[in-house]
Amino acid sequence: MLRVEHLTKVFPNGTVALKDVTFEVADGEFLAVIGLSGSGKSTLLRCINRLIEPTSGKIIWDGTDLTALSPSEMRRVRRKIGFVFQQFNLVRRSNVITNVLTGRLGYVNTAQSLLNAFSKEDNDRALNNLERLGLREKAYVRADSLSGGQQQRVGIARALMQEPKIILADEPVASLDPVLSHSILKYLEQLNREDGLTVLCSLHFLDLVHRYATSAIALKEGQLVFQGLPQEIDDAQFKAIYGQEAQRVSII
Amino acid sequence: MAPVRTKTPLLPALLSLVIPGAGQMYLGARMVAASIFGTAVVLAFLIWFTLENFRVGLVEWGTLKTSWLWLLFAVFWLWNVWDAYRRAHGRTTPRLVSFGIPILLIYIIAWQVTDVNLLRLVTRFSDVQIIFDALIHPDLLTRDTVVHQGMTTIWIPCSNPPQTVGPGGGSGLPVGIDKPCGTVGDTLVMAGQGFEPNTTGNLYWQEYGGTNEVQVRSGGAPVLVTTDAEGKFVVPFAIPAFAGRDGLDPNSPIVNGIEARFIREVGPLKPSENFGTLIGKIEIKPAPDWMTAFGIMPVGATLPAFEPGGIFVTIALGLMATLISIVVAAPLSFFGAHNIMARVRGGTVIYYIARAIFNVTRSIDTLIWAIILVTWTGLGAFTGLMALSIHSIAAVAKLYSEEVEHIDPGPVEATTAAGGNLLQNIRFAVIPQIVPSFLAYSLLRWDINMRSATVVGLVSAAGVGFYIFEAIRKGGYREYAAALWCIAVVVLIVDFLSAYWREQIFKNEAQASSAPPKAFYQTPRGIFYTVLFVAVFILSWNLAQIDLGKLFEPAPTFGKVLLDFVSVDTSPGVLDSVMRNLLVTIFQALLATTLGGVIALPFAFLAARNITGRTRAALPVYYAARFVLSFLRSIEAVLYVAIFVFWVGVGAFAGMLALSITTFGLIGKLFSEAVENIEEGPVEALTATGANRLQSIAFAIVPQIVPPFISYAIYQWDINIRLATIIGLAGGGGIGQLFQNYVGQLQYHKAGTVILAIVIVVTLMDFASAKIRERLV
Ligand SMILES: Nc1ncnc2c1ncn2[C@@H]1O[C@H](COP(=O)(O)OP(=O)(O)O)[C@@H](O)[C@H]1O
Ligand SMILES: [Mg+2]
Repeated sequence: MLRVEHLTKVFPNGTVALKDVTFEVADGEFLAVIGLSGSGKSTLLRCINRLIEPTSGKIIWDGTDLTALSPSEMRRVRRKIGFVFQQFNLVRRSNVITNVLTGRLGYVNTAQSLLNAFSKEDNDRALNNLERLGLREKAYVRADSLSGGQQQRVGIARALMQEPKIILADEPVASLDPVLSHSILKYLEQLNREDGLTVLCSLHFLDLVHRYATSAIALKEGQLVFQGLPQEIDDAQFKAIYGQEAQRVSII
Repeated sequence: MAPVRTKTPLLPALLSLVIPGAGQMYLGARMVAASIFGTAVVLAFLIWFTLENFRVGLVEWGTLKTSWLWLLFAVFWLWNVWDAYRRAHGRTTPRLVSFGIPILLIYIIAWQVTDVNLLRLVTRFSDVQIIFDALIHPDLLTRDTVVHQGMTTIWIPCSNPPQTVGPGGGSGLPVGIDKPCGTVGDTLVMAGQGFEPNTTGNLYWQEYGGTNEVQVRSGGAPVLVTTDAEGKFVVPFAIPAFAGRDGLDPNSPIVNGIEARFIREVGPLKPSENFGTLIGKIEIKPAPDWMTAFGIMPVGATLPAFEPGGIFVTIALGLMATLISIVVAAPLSFFGAHNIMARVRGGTVIYYIARAIFNVTRSIDTLIWAIILVTWTGLGAFTGLMALSIHSIAAVAKLYSEEVEHIDPGPVEATTAAGGNLLQNIRFAVIPQIVPSFLAYSLLRWDINMRSATVVGLVSAAGVGFYIFEAIRKGGYREYAAALWCIAVVVLIVDFLSAYWREQIFKNEAQASSAPPKAFYQTPRGIFYTVLFVAVFILSWNLAQIDLGKLFEPAPTFGKVLLDFVSVDTSPGVLDSVMRNLLVTIFQALLATTLGGVIALPFAFLAARNITGRTRAALPVYYAARFVLSFLRSIEAVLYVAIFVFWVGVGAFAGMLALSITTFGLIGKLFSEAVENIEEGPVEALTATGANRLQSIAFAIVPQIVPPFISYAIYQWDINIRLATIIGLAGGGGIGQLFQNYVGQLQYHKAGTVILAIVIVVTLMDFASAKIRERLV
C-alpha cells in the first residue's frame, strides 16, 4: 500500500506545486491522476520516487517512509518503482535493447555495467519484455528510428526490466494520437490486471480515466480536490477540477 | 513623452554640463546616462594616458603641454549638454555625433599608438618586392645548371700616365674590354665569343681574387648580355660604384674582374636541398633493427628510407596534441558541466573552479605557454607538445562541458528512476548523447591545433615554426616562402578533412539491423581505427622525438622561476609598461579588424556562391576569391610578421598589418557565409520590379547583412586580441614583445604580471563581445 501524507513541494523559485496532498492507493489499483496542466501531476509522481525532493510530508510504501531514506537506500527502492515518461526519455542514439537494459541499472554491479557487460540473463529478460510489447524484431535498431507509440512501448519495457511492484506513468499518452493512446494504456491495464502491478497514471482525458482507471484523484493548483471512483466525477466535479469554461471532450 | 515636458530643460542641461550624463540620469534615461558617463571617463583616460606615454596629439604653448584631442572631447561634452536639453523636450540628437566623436577619437588614438605610417608602406615597397618575388619562387624545386662564363680584368683607376695594357689574367671563354683602365662611371665595351648562340646572361663586377661581386646595372635594371647566332656578344656598360670601394688612388691602382655569366637550367625539376629539410628526403640508411632481427634483411644491409622534414614534425605535434587533449578533456569536462555537478555534493564549487581553470588556461596563447614551459622542459618538440596540449585541453574541455550541459535531461531522469547511480547515469544517458558532438569538436580542434603547431616552433625550436625562425634570421626569404606554401597546403588539407569528417559524423548513422551489433572495438572498422590511432600516435611520438624524461629533470632554477611567475610584480613602473603595451595590443587588434574587415567587404561578395557562383563566367572569380581567403587564413598571423617587419620595420605597425592579413582571411569567410545565408525573397522581389544587380545588392542584400557583419567584426576583434598578444613574439610590438623582453631578461615576476594582464583583458573582451553580440541578434 502507498500512502502519501501531507505532501508539499515548494520549488526554489517559490512556486508551490503541491500543497498538503494526502491520499492512499491500495495494491493492485489503477489510479488516475487528473488535473489541468500545471496543477502538479508531474511533481506529485516525481516526488513519490524522489526524482524531485519533497519539501515536507511523508510517502509511506509498505511501511517504509521513502522520504527518510538515504540516497543509496532510495536507489534500492527505486528499482521496484517503474516510471513511464510523457516524452519517453529514451537515449535516441542508442539502440532499443540498450535502452531497455538501462532499466536493470539498479540491480547490476556498477563496474560491469559501465563496460556494458550485462548478463545473458538480463539480455534474455530484455528480449522477452520487448517480445511482450511486440517489439522483439526492433531490438537492435536505433531508438530514434521508431515511431512515437513504439518508443513509448520501449519505455514500458524498460520499466518492466526493474521487475517493479508499482508503475508511475506521467501522461504516458499525451504525446500520442488517440489510437496509439489506447494501445499503450491497454498494455498498462494488462500489467495491472495480469501481473497485479499498482499503476499511478496521470491522464488528461476524462473518458480514458473512465475506461481504464479503478480509482482517481484530482489536483487543482497543487491541492487535492477529488478522491474517489472515476464514475463519481460528475459535471459539477468536472467543472470544479477543470474550471467553469471547460467542455467535456471525448476521445474515440 | 508627455510627463517629461513638465521638467525644465535648463536643469538637465546644467546637470550634464557639470557631470556628463547627469542630466540624462535626471530625466530617467539610466542606460543612456551610464553610457555617456562611461564613455567620457574612458575617453578622458585614453587622451591623458596616451598623451603622457605616446605623446598622442601633443601641442606645446610655451611650457604648457597638452593634447589637441581635448578639443574633440569638449565637443563630446557639449553634445551631452545639448542632448540633455533636447531630451527634456522629448527629442533626440543625431547619432552621428553621439557615436561619431568617441569613435573618431578612438581611431585617432589607435592610429598613433600603433605607430601607423602609411608612407613607409610606399617608400619601402621596392624592398618588399624581394619577398613577393620569393613567394612566387619558393625554394622547393630546382634544376641542374650549366654555367658558361668569361672573365677579364681592368685597372681601377688609371694611373698617371694611364696604363697601356690591362693587368692580364682572366678565366673561362675568351672575353675582352676596350680599355686597360678606368674609373667609376666610365663607359666600357665588353666583347666575347664562343658562347652558346642566342642566350642571355648577366655581367658581374668582381673583387679580383676575392669573393665579393655585384651585378652590373644600368638605371636600376641588370645589364643583359645577349649572344648572336654565332655565340658572340658586344655589350656597353658603365663601371659601377662598387669599383671604387677601396678608394680611387692613381698611385696604387687595383685589379678588378669583369665577368659575363650565362646560366642555363638543364634536366628535370628536382627537389631542392631545402625541400629535404622542410618536407623530407629519401636517404639510404641501415635497415632497422627489427628487420635484421627477424631475418628479413641481412645484418648491415641498407634500405632507402624517408627522412621526414620539419613539416612532418609539425603534423605529428598537431595530431598528438589533439589526441592527448581529447583523452584528458573528455573526463575533465564533466567537472565543468553544471547539470552533472549539481548532482554531486559540493559539485557547484567544483564546477566553478573547473570552469575558471579552463578559461584562464585557454586565455593564455599556446605560444606563451611554450615560453613558460621552456623554463621547465627546455627547447624542443616536447615543450611544443605540452604547450599545444595544455591550451587545447582547456579549450576542448570548455566546449565539451557546454555540450554536456546541452544534453536532453530526459534519459538521465529515466536511468535515475530505474535506480542508476551517477556513474551509470553518465555512462548510459549522457555519453551516448554527446559522442557525435565530441567527435565534431575534436576534429575541429585538430584543425586548430595543426595551425598552432606551425607556430609553436618559433619559441620551442621544433618543426616548421623553428625552420621559419631560422630562415628569417638568415634572411632566407625563398626558404621562408617555401615554408608558407607548405603550411598552407597542409593546413588546407587538414581543414578539408576535418570539415568532411565532421559532416560524415552526423550523416551515416541509423542503420537497421536484426542481429546484436558488435562492440566498436570488435568491428573491422573499429579495429582499423584503433590500430590507426595507436600507430599514428607512436609514429608521431618517435618522429617528434618526445622524451618524457625531460618532465622530471627540469632545469635547477625551475622552482624559482615558477615562484617568480606566480609572485606577480605590481610595482608602478611595471604596471605602467604593461598598461602601455596592453593598449598597443588592443588598438592593434582594433585597427587590424577594421582594416581586414574593410578589405574583406568586397571580397565577401566575390566569394559568395549566390553572387558569383551562379554564372559560368563569374565562377572563376568565385573560386579565386575563395582560394585567396583560404590561403591567407591558413597561415597564422605571427608568421606574416616577418614580411611586415622587413617592409615597415619592427614594431606595432608591422604586427597590426600582419594581423590584418589573417583577419582578412578569417572575416572574409564569415562575411561571405553571411552573404550566402541571406534570404532570396527580397532579392527576387526587387528583381521583379526591374532592379539591376547592383540595385538589388544595395537594397535587398545590404540591409540583411549589416547585423551579422557587425556581429562578426566584434567577434573578430575578440579573436584578434588573443592573436595580438603573441604578434609581439615575432617583432610585432605590443604586450607579446614586452613578455618576451621580460623573459629574455629573466625577469619572470614581471612576465607573470604580463600573463595576469593578458588573462584579464582576454577574459573581459570575451565576455563583452559575447554580451554585445547577444544584444545585436
Ligand atoms: N523545476 C521547477 N521549478 C519551478 N517550478 C516548477 C518546476 N517544475 C514545475 N514547476 C511548476 O510547478 C507547477 C506544477 O507543475 P507540474 O507538476 O509540471 O504540473 P502538471 O504536470 O500537472 O502539468 C507548475 O506551476 C510549474 O510551473
Ligand atoms: Mg506534467
